[in-house]
Amino acid sequence: MQRDVGSLPLAPALRARLVAAGFQTAQELLDTGPCGLSKEIGISKEEALEALQVVRQECHSDATQTAGAPGTSRKCTALELLEQEQAQGFIITFCSALDNILGGGVQLTKITEICGEPGVGKTQLCMQLAVDVQIPECFGGLAGEAVFIDTEGSFMVDRVVDVATACVQHCQLIAEAHQEEDHLKALETFSLESILSHIYYFRCRDYIELLAQVYLLPDFLSEHSKVRLVVIDGIAFPFRHDFEDLSLRTRLLNGLAQQLIIIANDHKAAVVLTNQMTTRIGQSQSTLVPALGESWGHAATVRLIFHWDNNQRLATLYKSPSQKESTIPYHITPHGFRDVQPPAVTQNPEGTELNPRKRPRREEEK
Amino acid sequence: MAPKKLRRARLSQELCERLSRYQITTCQDFLCLSLLDLMKVTGQSYRNVQKLLCKVSLACAPKMQTAYEMKVRRAVNPSSAFLSTSLHGLDKVLHGGVPCGSLTEITSPPGCGKTQFCIMMSVLATLPVSMGGLDGAVIYIDTESAFSAERLVEIAGNRFPAYFDSDEKLFSMTRSIYLYRELTCGSVLKRIKSLEEEIISKKVKLIIIDSVASVVRKEFDTKLQGNLTERSNFLARGASLLKYLAEEFSIPVILTNQITTWLSNGLAIQADLVSPADDLCLSEGASGGGKRESGSVTAALGNTWSHSVNTRLILQYHDLPTRQILVAKSPVAPFSAFFYTVEKSGFVLQDGKDQTNLTWEGTNPALQNIKPATLHLEGKLSSELTLISEREKKPRAPAIRSFSGGNSLGCFLSDHWDLPARAGQK
Repeated sequence: MQRDVGSLPLAPALRARLVAAGFQTAQELLDTGPCGLSKEIGISKEEALEALQVVRQECHSDATQTAGAPGTSRKCTALELLEQEQAQGFIITFCSALDNILGGGVQLTKITEICGEPGVGKTQLCMQLAVDVQIPECFGGLAGEAVFIDTEGSFMVDRVVDVATACVQHCQLIAEAHQEEDHLKALETFSLESILSHIYYFRCRDYIELLAQVYLLPDFLSEHSKVRLVVIDGIAFPFRHDFEDLSLRTRLLNGLAQQLIIIANDHKAAVVLTNQMTTRIGQSQSTLVPALGESWGHAATVRLIFHWDNNQRLATLYKSPSQKESTIPYHITPHGFRDVQPPAVTQNPEGTELNPRKRPRREEEK
Repeated sequence: MAPKKLRRARLSQELCERLSRYQITTCQDFLCLSLLDLMKVTGQSYRNVQKLLCKVSLACAPKMQTAYEMKVRRAVNPSSAFLSTSLHGLDKVLHGGVPCGSLTEITSPPGCGKTQFCIMMSVLATLPVSMGGLDGAVIYIDTESAFSAERLVEIAGNRFPAYFDSDEKLFSMTRSIYLYRELTCGSVLKRIKSLEEEIISKKVKLIIIDSVASVVRKEFDTKLQGNLTERSNFLARGASLLKYLAEEFSIPVILTNQITTWLSNGLAIQADLVSPADDLCLSEGASGGGKRESGSVTAALGNTWSHSVNTRLILQYHDLPTRQILVAKSPVAPFSAFFYTVEKSGFVLQDGKDQTNLTWEGTNPALQNIKPATLHLEGKLSSELTLISEREKKPRAPAIRSFSGGNSLGCFLSDHWDLPARAGQK
């Protein structure tokens, strides 16, 4: 209640008037009442009432925060965080090597950035994740939904159909092997149509549409509370041309990053961004670095770089708070994103995808 | 697409007037400001500003569709999702053909068949839906003056003799192909901007630009400082306009590109045959391993352009007259290669030697090595670049050449591909 008037989220002109009139704390405002306020400041009674309602709301939310109410509290001990993290799921990628280096898969509540050269498989991984997030819980998935924001236009429904069909087949194989009740029940709802209906697709043509969509995302996620994955395929594309004012670009990108972090935390969703590579011209040679500049490198919590080595695609974990830097090979098959198969073995690739060393809390075994 | 004015975002009149005093007239200006700036400019409280932001965002944001709806739409009209290339193997791998609604690029050394491919696709687009076409008009933007109407008629007559059995049919086909000759970057961009209305009025179903690289390289010499950014801007703007047209009308867009040469140790050198201007294509792992400079030939226009196109098909020479078409980048297709020849009826795939990729490997489409014709290059190039043609002609020793760790796949790739074919061929 001792909150300073200057810090209240009122209209700036009104705030200036209040401060000029001598009001110092929020309590003073509340005590004065709307009529008194309107007389002293010279505003209408309705405006005064509105201002007081804002002040009251602010003070109320301040109060609940200091009282430590569990819902709105933002502080907790590390032990609680540990328990939360362990209970939280990962989004598997069906490439066990990649899941390994990520520590189990793509993490919720974190921003993961995938950088790579053209054609290396970024969009493929995004499509794979959009399908994998929907795997039912009894198979080790999150039973969530996915939001896919596309700025480059590489989202091809036919490819998603292929990936989803392969995923459903894979789960069917597991269910047949285990013959458990809930597996079979889950399979009834886990079909191609349901997978496709739970991928919410937005096509943003320029950075304005992208900004607008990200502003609207929190409301969308509140309505669709089962969304566990937000993919922005091509965060670099709308920002890489037509921007003479680089400081504006940096500011917009930072704002985007902050909003995405808030979204990831509030809705317990994973945010996956894909970035392009650009050429940095050095003294004697040039190298490929992730686009959008140095400061953007701070936005993502986890950074993966996909690149080629002769004919082999490699994924390098470049930045992560909990896993160490490593590189693994991967394949893109007609079924989607997969491990590299040992060349001599002719087995069905789906047979060896899941990592046998997965944490015991997963119910599926291999 | 001009940015949307705030008036149309349903903000109140007085608010719009107030904002225009601060030079904020479009949604773009509004959304680019931070929340504090907005509070100052609108004179409203924090919560109200958030509501305003939501309102303006709603006016700008795209519509949501689920993947299922997209699939249903495609299923309802299956022919509208792809334009079949009438090359059976290629169509199968691409899940139908050249995809509608995205950009497809054809790259090749000179004389390999880009323009032939484009002419063939023009004929295909005018065919009725029952024959695999799109039953529509074609807009052909020609920057090299390489389009030949006679060749068009020849291909049509020889490829579909049953359909084009009368002169009348041939003429009506040619009537639906609109040719524009544009010779500068500015005029190409202007033409692309004007296409939206033309597509609606003429019922266009295919846009071809042959070729993007030639105008760009003529005008922008990347050795000069400012040119690189200007060039990237032009390319990016062109790409986004074309993507918008492709998606809005759900039509395929085909672009052609040229080749350039890069040296594995550093920057690209002026080495292409068409113009002195060149681009920067980089090797990403230029480690110290290969000190000897060796070059290879890849698609032009740089890395960013490789990101912008959705599908990339590369044509290259094999053993004349056989050539090879590679699917280097595609969201739906794995890396594959097919052999073809150019005949009277256009492209003809060599069926027996189809090589679809069995091990799902691939190569970086931005740095995919392209084989130029061995005979063509020899006379024209000087200095170390004859090394390239020399190398192509050498027997296929495995790559113990000291290429650096990057993507100097060069002969390694061609080894890999040709080996099974060689076994069959010989």
